[in-house]
Amino acid sequence: MSINVLIFGHLADITGKDSLQLRDFHDTDQLIDHLNNLFPSMKKARYACAVDQKIIRTNTQLREDSTVALLPPFSGG
Amino acid sequence: MKQKEPKNIFIRNAVSPAFIAESIGKHGEKTGIGAHSIFLGQVRADVIDNKTVTGIEYTAYEDMANQQMFLIREDIFEKYPITCMHVYHSLGRVGTGEICLFVFTSSPHRKPAIDACEETVERIKKELPVWGREIFADESYQWKKDN
Repeated sequence: MSINVLIFGHLADITGKDSLQLRDFHDTDQLIDHLNNLFPSMKKARYACAVDQKIIRTNTQLREDSTVALLPPFSGG
Repeated sequence: MKQKEPKNIFIRNAVSPAFIAESIGKHGEKTGIGAHSIFLGQVRADVIDNKTVTGIEYTAYEDMANQQMFLIREDIFEKYPITCMHVYHSLGRVGTGEICLFVFTSSPHRKPAIDACEETVERIKKELPVWGREIFADESYQWKKDN
């Protein structure tokens, strides 16, 4: 199962990437745990998570080709 | 006019004064309009730790931002009797003194245009996945936080 991860704002500085392709994650908690292990500074970062462009508040199931976006506090305008 | 689907609100770099003038001019034929309200966001030369901001570089989750702007637009049209609304946001580098956000609402009478414009600007700031990076003269930067 392939998952697209989009990384924005200062989180892209932490990870050094603006996207990742990951496999075999079944829900967002699992995915975020994995990212926290890879990039320990992410644990302290404040951000929202969107699955297929919808902001989620709780652990969410992922499907083949889901897009997970990590969104730091917005600062447009 | 209501839209049927999300429109791309993003333009590369600054919003030029000529573009804004042209946009105002295009409304001349809509003679039911009696009032326009325009908000322009301009990049400020803030001084942070003795370093002066020379510009802001914007990035966005464009698809999600365009979709969210479409929903905001639907809500605003539902709430206020406005004739039309136009929104443009910069992507990429915008220098200090240049325009990075252009919100333009029109209605037969002034109050709905003014209120719709203000509410749209507030919702853009809160709800659109857009990020600004303040760039200093030495090319160092910090992520903007003041929303």
